[in-house]
Amino acid sequence: MPASSPAIRPWGRWGLRVVGIVWLGLIIVLPLSALLEHGLHDGVSALFREIANPIAFAALKLTLLTAVVMAVINTVMGTLTAYVLVRYRFFGSKLLNSLIDLPFAIPTLVTGIMLVVLYGPQRTLGAWLAARGIQVIFAQPGIVLALLFVTYPFVIRTVQPVLMEIDQSQEEAAWTLGASPWRTFFEITLPAITPAILTGALLSFARALGEFGSIVIVAGNIPRSTLTAPVYIFGQIESQNQRGAGAISVVLLALSFALMLFVDWVQERRGKNHVSG
Amino acid sequence: MCTEVMRRNTRIAVTKCLLLSSLLSSMVSCGGSISDHGRKVTLILGAYTTPREAYTKAIIPEFKRYWQQKTGREVEFQESYQGSGAQSRAIISGFEADIAALSLEGDVDRIVKSGLIQHDWRANEYHGIVTTSIVVIAVRPGNPLGIRDWSDLTRQGLRLLTPDPKTSGGAQWNIAAIYGAALRGYTDAGKDDPTAAKEFLKRVLVNVSIMDKGARESIINFEKGVGDAAITYENEVLVGRQAGQKYDYAVPHSTILIENPVALVDKYVDKHGVREAAEAFVQFLLTKEAQEVFARYGLRPVEEEAARGAGAQFPPVKDLWKIDFLGGWSQVTVNLFGPAGAYSRSFEELHTAQ
Amino acid sequence: MSQVETGDKTQIATAPRSRVVRPTGAAWILVIIVVLYAAVLLGGPLLAIIWGAASSGLKAMVRELTSAEAINALKLTIILSLSATIINTVFGLILALVLARDDFKGKRIVNGLIDLPFAVSPVIAGFMLMLLFGRQGWFTATIDALNVRVVFALPGMLLATIFISSPFVVREVLPVLRHLGEDQEKVAYTMGAGYWRTFRQITLSNIRWGLLYGILLTFSRALGEFGAVLVVGGGVTRLTETSTLFIYRALDDRNEVGAYAMALILAIISFSLLLVMEYARKHSRKD
Repeated sequence: MPASSPAIRPWGRWGLRVVGIVWLGLIIVLPLSALLEHGLHDGVSALFREIANPIAFAALKLTLLTAVVMAVINTVMGTLTAYVLVRYRFFGSKLLNSLIDLPFAIPTLVTGIMLVVLYGPQRTLGAWLAARGIQVIFAQPGIVLALLFVTYPFVIRTVQPVLMEIDQSQEEAAWTLGASPWRTFFEITLPAITPAILTGALLSFARALGEFGSIVIVAGNIPRSTLTAPVYIFGQIESQNQRGAGAISVVLLALSFALMLFVDWVQERRGKNHVSG
Repeated sequence: MCTEVMRRNTRIAVTKCLLLSSLLSSMVSCGGSISDHGRKVTLILGAYTTPREAYTKAIIPEFKRYWQQKTGREVEFQESYQGSGAQSRAIISGFEADIAALSLEGDVDRIVKSGLIQHDWRANEYHGIVTTSIVVIAVRPGNPLGIRDWSDLTRQGLRLLTPDPKTSGGAQWNIAAIYGAALRGYTDAGKDDPTAAKEFLKRVLVNVSIMDKGARESIINFEKGVGDAAITYENEVLVGRQAGQKYDYAVPHSTILIENPVALVDKYVDKHGVREAAEAFVQFLLTKEAQEVFARYGLRPVEEEAARGAGAQFPPVKDLWKIDFLGGWSQVTVNLFGPAGAYSRSFEELHTAQ
Repeated sequence: MSQVETGDKTQIATAPRSRVVRPTGAAWILVIIVVLYAAVLLGGPLLAIIWGAASSGLKAMVRELTSAEAINALKLTIILSLSATIINTVFGLILALVLARDDFKGKRIVNGLIDLPFAVSPVIAGFMLMLLFGRQGWFTATIDALNVRVVFALPGMLLATIFISSPFVVREVLPVLRHLGEDQEKVAYTMGAGYWRTFRQITLSNIRWGLLYGILLTFSRALGEFGAVLVVGGGVTRLTETSTLFIYRALDDRNEVGAYAMALILAIISFSLLLVMEYARKHSRKD
C-alpha cells in the first residue's frame, strides 16, 4: 500500500476498494455465476452432450469458420489501411481516418438492415450478383460481410498507434543500403507491428464470435449453412431449451474470454503499461 | 482551469440528480399505472405475429371506444407480437400478459400447465377459439412455376420458406398440414402410411432455405424476393396484399383448418387488478363487430353471422380437416415435434447427413 | 526509389518519427485499394440506408418519427442509455482508481472480469439476466415478494444495458491514471488540500479527455444495444420497446419508412458522438 497521505484516512481508500469490488461482484460475477452454474449444473459430460447435438455443433463450427475468414481478411486490409493512413497523405485521408470508428457507432441491427437494403435480392446490386450466382444475403458471404463491417476498426486502431511510434531510422537505413520498399516492409516494419496486428486480429475474432444483431437480420437460420452460435442460443432461449442455451453460452463465453486474456497477456509481455486491449 | 473543472462537476452532479430522479419516477409510474384502479386501466396483450394489423389498427381502437362508452374509463394497451411458441414461453418466463392470443391451443395449454391460467378457457360456445384460417402456399405473381399443391413443393431445386416450428405457431400448422395431407392421400405418398408421410415431409423440408422466427418474418422475406414459394397462413397473404404486396396463393386440395385461441391469464390479470376489463376484451373479440373486423384483415371468423357475411372472400377447400385428425395438439406435439417426432427426425436427418 | 530517397534526406532532420508523404507509383495502388475497400464496406451500406429513408420523402419520415411509438421508443432508449452511462461512469472511475492505485491480491482477476462484457455476446448477457430474474431464477422469489418486475420491464433492461456498456470508462481511464501516477495528488495533500478537492481539481482534470472518450463510448454502445434488451425486454410496445426494437418491429409491420427513419436517427446521433469522440481521442493521445 503506497505511503498514506495525511488527507486520506485509511478507511477511505479501503472503502473505495470495497465499493468497487462489490459493484463488480453484483454486475459481473453474479450473472456469470448464474450462467456457469446453469451450464455446468449437470456436469461437464452433460455440457459436452449438448455441444455434440448436431445443430449446436454446426452452429459453433459456422461461427468459428466465418470468424476466421473475417479475421484473415480484416488482418490484411486492416494492416494495409493503417499503413496507408499513417504513412501517406492524400485527398480524403483525414475523412477516412474519422470514418474508421463508424462501426463502433452504428447499432449492429442497423448494420444488418443496411446490408439487406444494399445486397437484398430485390435490389439492383443484389439482383445483379444473384444473376451471377452469388448470393450474399441469407448466405455465408453475407455473414462474413456483416462481421467485416462490425470489426472494421479493430486491427486498424491497434496498428495505427504502433506505426506512428516507430522510429523510421531503421527503415531509412535499409533504403540507403539498397533494400526495396517491399523488403523493407517485410523485414523491418512488419516484425515491429506484428504484436499489434495479432492483438487486433484476436480482438476482432473474439468480437465476431458473439455478433448477433446484424447476423439475425442478414442470415437465414438454416443449420450448417447460415445458423451461427449466438442466433442458435437465441432460438434456444425462445423455445425455452435452457439447457442447450446454457451449454453453448458457456462454450462461447469461455472461448471469447480465453482470447481476451491471451490478448492481455501478449500486450503485457510487450511491456505495455495498460492492462487491457 | 480550476473553476472550469468545478463548474463542470457541479453541472454533472446536478444533471445526475435530475436524471436519476426522473428515471426513478418513470420506473415508479410504469409500475403504478398497472395496478391503477382509478380512471385508467392498462391491458397487456401477448399475441402471435399474424394478427398484428387486425389488433393494432382496428380491434384495439374499437375496444377502447367501446370501453370508454360503457364505463367512462380509459383503457391503454401494451402489446407484443412474436412467434406463438416464443410468446407462450415468454409469458411463462415472466412476461405479464393479461391476455394471450396465440396461434394454436398447444401454446395456451403450455401456459395452463405452468399454473398461470386457472380457469377452463375452452368453456364457451367456440371452445376458446376466436379466429380461423387455412394453410396455403404463397407464390410469385402469376404463379410462374405452376405450383398447385403439396406435391409440387418436392420439386428439385425449389426454394421454400417456412418458419421455425420451435418458435412459430404458424410453422407447426404448416408441418401438420403437409403431414396430414400426406396421410389423407392427397400427395404422392401412400394413404394412411406414417412412414411414407414422414418421407414426404422430408422431401418438402429439403427445399427449405430459411426458417424465420415467426410467420410474419417469413412472409416478409418472401416479399423481399427470397425463395420461390412460402408456406403460410391464408390471412398473412391477404394482409400482405392489403399492404400493397403482389403475390398469388395456391390453396392445396387438402389442408388444415387453423384455429386460433384466446385466453385470459388469471395470475397476471388478478395481480394487475384488471379482470373486469380483460374479460370484457375477450368477450368483445367474439362479438359480430369484432369478428367482422377480423374478416376484413383476412382471418376467417368463428361467429356465425360474421362468417356467413364474409364467406365470399374466402376460397373453399376441397378437403378441410382439423387437428383432431392427427389426434389433437397433445398428440401432435409428441408425434411430430417431440424428440422422436416425424418432423424432428426429418430435420435432423437432413441437416446432419454429411 | 530515388524520389523516396530525396524525400528521405530532406526530412530526416525535421521529423525523425513517422513521416507522412504523398503516395507515389505503387503506393497509389495501395491507397486506391484501401479507399475502395472502405467505400464498399462502409460507404455503400451507409448510402443505401440514407437513400432508403429518404426515398419516401421527408414528410413520411417525419410522420413516422413523431408517432407515439417512435417517440416512446426514443425516450426509452435515451433514458436507458443516459442512466447506464452515469452509473457506469461513477463505478468505472472508482474501479479505475482502485486498480491504478491499490495493490491487492486478485488484482489480475478483477482486471479480467472488467473486460468480461466485451467477450459476452449480447444474447448471452440477456440470458444471464433471465437466469437471475426470470422464471425459476435465483432472485425471482425475492423480487416477486417486493412486487417489482425485472424481466420484461425497465429494471431488467437497465441492468442489461449497464452490463454490456460497463468496461469502457475503466479501460479508457485506467491507462491514463497509471501513466500519471500519484505525485501531483501527493503534492496537493502535503499542501493541505482535502481528498475531494484534490480529486476534483487534479485527478479529474488530468483524466478528462480519456474520461470523456470513455463516457461517449459507453453512451454510444448503450444506444445501439439490441440483443440483450430483446431477450430481457421482449419488445413490448409502450413498455420495453427501445429504438432498436422499434426498428425490428417496424420491419415486421412492413413499415420500411419508419424502420429506416429510426435507423437513420440512431446513426446520426451515433455519428455526431463519433465526431466528438474523434476530437477527444486526439486530445487524449496528446496529453
